[in-house]
Amino acid sequence: MRKTIAMLLIATTVIFGVFANGSGESAASGDTYVIGFMGPLTGDNANYGIRCNNATQLAVSEINAAGGINGKQLEVIAENTLGTTEGAIAAYEKLVYSDGVCAIVGPVFTGPALAVAQRCYEDGIVMISPSATHKDVTSLGDFVYRTVPSDALQSEVAAHYMYEVLGYRNIACLYAMNDYSQGLALGVQETFTELGGTVSAMETCMVGDKDFRTQLGAIRNSGAEAIYIPNYTVEDALILEQAAQLGMNLPFFSSDGFSDPEIYNLAGDYTDGVMYVGPAQAEASSILADFTAAYSAAYDGDQPDSFATNAYDATYILAEAIGRAGSTDWSAINDQVKATSDFQGANGTINFAANGDMIASQGVYYVEGTTPVYQGSFQIVDDAIVQVD
Amino acid sequence: MDTLVQYLQYLVNGLTLGAIYALIALGYTMVYGILKFINFAHGDILMIGAYTGLFTYTALLGESTNAAWMLIAFFIAMLVSMAFCALLGMFIERVAYKPLRNANRLAPLLSAIGVSFILSNGAAWLFGAQSRRFPYPFDDTPIMLGGISITPHQILTVVVSVIMMVVLTLFVNRSRMGKAMRATSLDQATSELMGIDVNRIISMTFAIGSALAAVGGILSAFDFRVYASMGTMTGLKAFVAAVIGGIGNIQGAMLGGVILGVLESIGAPLLHIPSALKDTIAFAVLIVILLVKPDGILGKNEREKV
Repeated sequence: MRKTIAMLLIATTVIFGVFANGSGESAASGDTYVIGFMGPLTGDNANYGIRCNNATQLAVSEINAAGGINGKQLEVIAENTLGTTEGAIAAYEKLVYSDGVCAIVGPVFTGPALAVAQRCYEDGIVMISPSATHKDVTSLGDFVYRTVPSDALQSEVAAHYMYEVLGYRNIACLYAMNDYSQGLALGVQETFTELGGTVSAMETCMVGDKDFRTQLGAIRNSGAEAIYIPNYTVEDALILEQAAQLGMNLPFFSSDGFSDPEIYNLAGDYTDGVMYVGPAQAEASSILADFTAAYSAAYDGDQPDSFATNAYDATYILAEAIGRAGSTDWSAINDQVKATSDFQGANGTINFAANGDMIASQGVYYVEGTTPVYQGSFQIVDDAIVQVD
Repeated sequence: MDTLVQYLQYLVNGLTLGAIYALIALGYTMVYGILKFINFAHGDILMIGAYTGLFTYTALLGESTNAAWMLIAFFIAMLVSMAFCALLGMFIERVAYKPLRNANRLAPLLSAIGVSFILSNGAAWLFGAQSRRFPYPFDDTPIMLGGISITPHQILTVVVSVIMMVVLTLFVNRSRMGKAMRATSLDQATSELMGIDVNRIISMTFAIGSALAAVGGILSAFDFRVYASMGTMTGLKAFVAAVIGGIGNIQGAMLGGVILGVLESIGAPLLHIPSALKDTIAFAVLIVILLVKPDGILGKNEREKV
């Protein structure tokens, strides 16, 4: 008797287990569409992941409130990457192989994004990262998209602006040996040389170096007309000050690291005349204002950062693509994401380039005293710089 | 601009840097001379010195923009910082090193590393991790000499360093206390028998070394800013300078500091290697000098004491 009950229990469990599993899978093709989110939800950099996740959840609930996708509800499963490559791969495997999601928003950081991009490309499922900026993230060419501008764009705009708009033909770079600065400096060197200019000095320093006079001395002797300094504020501040002390008056051109106002505390006397490429100023759109207000209302007055805004747009882009694809077929969704045309999001109009990079503008700023003055936003079209507003 | 001017410019920068290294190296070398012990917390004393100097200077200056008062306030701040660091140095010696004087030689070394962490992490916690500017107490417009730029703060650095070194040399060689110091350095036990208060001499050595580090910290802050971990690299380089010159030898520390500063400034362009590797040169030189002359340039061959 006891055995029979036990058998019955086991049988019931198995049947319900199979049924539950079956309903999980059919959910994707049944009455809901399931997408995945992955980002760091705990740890030192959890603030980025949590805000991106919040924005994704907000977009999903808005979409569902407005009737869902073709009458079906959208569901998002959030997985914690811990901000590490290993964590991201584990999250990817759970979402794709176990939860059966049909596309992914994330990962949030470059390292995890590079690893997950490889898997997405091999498995053929779409990922849209809201924040991985390293130029190699989209290098595989398909299935991998982002709603954040690639670092490559910044160095292209910098090189074109210096060559075409400012008319420099000979520049020098002084950069720190980290991914960010080195990536930008080498990018500028490549583009500037392709345009026909000369980069007469590529001077390097270590992160944390404080004395740049040797490098500046070499640059002074190189005949360069301007110096590109794509570094963080601490290095840039000392470079500007020591250049002034060496009596150098070459113009400086910098990167979005310069958009941190800390630079004016550290080197306020020396920032006059510096130009830099930074974030393009988004036109004040009602979508952005509505998103910010809805986000703030939903999350106890917290404000979204720019990556959260990107995650919000990424979720809407995915939802529209799924709607046009009309199925959970990964390849069909990929085709529709690729076909995204003039998507109107919180960040303005979004289109994707062939490799999955967002076609974006970069802002150029000129510092008057300690006040950055916006010169406009620029894009690279057919190897030439174009001012878009 | 021709190459000669470029290299003369490197030389000027290197000499300034070297003067700072020399000041800090003196602290390492004096302590080593007497206790045969490397005080790895010395670099962090210079950081405390820079913070003390900065806070005193800003407090004294207030809203004033009077040129004379700026300069006076700066020198007062320097003296305050020297005094504070001297006391701090004596305190650290009393608390963290003296109880270990007869212990295994590794024990005070580890204790010093511990003190170093306490100071730098404590400063990061108290003052934050961001770097701060040390404002120039004068107009720092560079003076151009035929294409070579020399800034007033570089002149100040060299002048103050030279004065400090001359005073120290006179003190050690001419005064009674200096004589006692030299005696203690030669043979601690015998000095004690001769009636020298060795504990007092050791305290004084720490006080003098720390006061010099405070000056080094303030002078280096003009170029490198004030931040909690500023003592680590500068301290390490000053230690290298002390070893290059011959650790335990006061003139050696001065010479080593200047050599290291100039090498760092001029080495990379001279050898046509990337500037990011300039610190590598400094440490490569350390290895070569140790291989060729293990006691340093002015180091004496010491008889092994049993």
